Amino acid sequence: MSSTTKASRIGEEIWKTRVDKVNAELVTLTYGTIVAQLCQDYDSDYQEVNKQLDKMGYNIGMRLIEDFLAKSGVGRCANFRETADMIAKVRTSVIRNGYMSEQVGFKIFLNVTPTVTNWTSDNNQFSLIFDENPLADFVELPDDGRSQDELWFSNILCGVLRGSLEMVQVQIEAHFVSDVLRGDDTTEMRVSLVRYIEDEMPPEED
Amino acid sequence: MPVYSFYIFDRHAECIYKRLWQPRPTSLAGKASRSGSDLVGLGQTVRSTDDDAKLVFGTVFSLRNMVRKLGGEEDNFISYTTSQYKLHYYETPTNTKFVMLTDLKSPSMRIALQQIYINLFVEYVVKNPLSPTEHPGGVGVNNELFEESLEQFVTRVLS
Repeated sequence: MSSTTKASRIGEEIWKTRVDKVNAELVTLTYGTIVAQLCQDYDSDYQEVNKQLDKMGYNIGMRLIEDFLAKSGVGRCANFRETADMIAKVRTSVIRNGYMSEQVGFKIFLNVTPTVTNWTSDNNQFSLIFDENPLADFVELPDDGRSQDELWFSNILCGVLRGSLEMVQVQIEAHFVSDVLRGDDTTEMRVSLVRYIEDEMPPEED
Repeated sequence: MPVYSFYIFDRHAECIYKRLWQPRPTSLAGKASRSGSDLVGLGQTVRSTDDDAKLVFGTVFSLRNMVRKLGGEEDNFISYTTSQYKLHYYETPTNTKFVMLTDLKSPSMRIALQQIYINLFVEYVVKNPLSPTEHPGGVGVNNELFEESLEQFVTRVLS
């Protein structure tokens, strides 16, 4: 598991020295306000809210990945497992062939280190378990009988992951399968590899 | 240490930024076309900068792929030299390619290109919330902050 320890060292180092920090409550409140506004705008159509959050995250991810790469200087991940570690530790570095280390990624941007687990035997799917989630501090889902079944409060994270990995030519699908806000024991995101994206060629000339 | 030109290509193989400094020596045009592609006729003396960008892209793209075939997925080419100019290359994991043409005497510009990516491109283009995430035709890259800083970087730091 040397790639795991390497990823966590990168994440730790960058978090300490190269990241501008903001007040966690400011983030929580800002994000909460966005979700609340979306719920209002879409008339509590939570499916639509999930979709919008994912889309916002996607656009954020496409930019965030560049910042991650610039700060961490990591290269491409050799395989999906390495990517998973990187995402969790750094959450920034995705890599070619594979993966960005999501672990590193989460560390750099949220100072959270999710656990990577539940790999499928073909190494194409894994879960991220969040022990803590700064986005969801102070949050209680609306008591309308539906939000607990339909709204994924932190769905923006799925989009961020999707957007950032796509930029390093890894197409994935991500969704939450449980959330402590809904009364589950853990907050778990399921990430599956769809395919590696090929290099694009310039358009043919006549 | 003259810098002749600088190009950025995005992951869709499009040239999203180009900048020319010194007028290239006239013979450079011929050299570039020969190294770029044999298909370009030798009689072609006047080429637009758009054509140049396409040739440069074709060259670095083929060269990169060849290098990876021979040296493994992790391998990357850094520069090549002709009798007229030196081409420096840097590629990010997101497939954005930075290319710089300089004179023969300049040292490796790999670090310089990396600095341009980290300190100028990411800071002024990617992190600009109002610039689009994709840059068809160079939209969003050609902003004042980026251009000025690039100018300063090239004139002050590199020369």
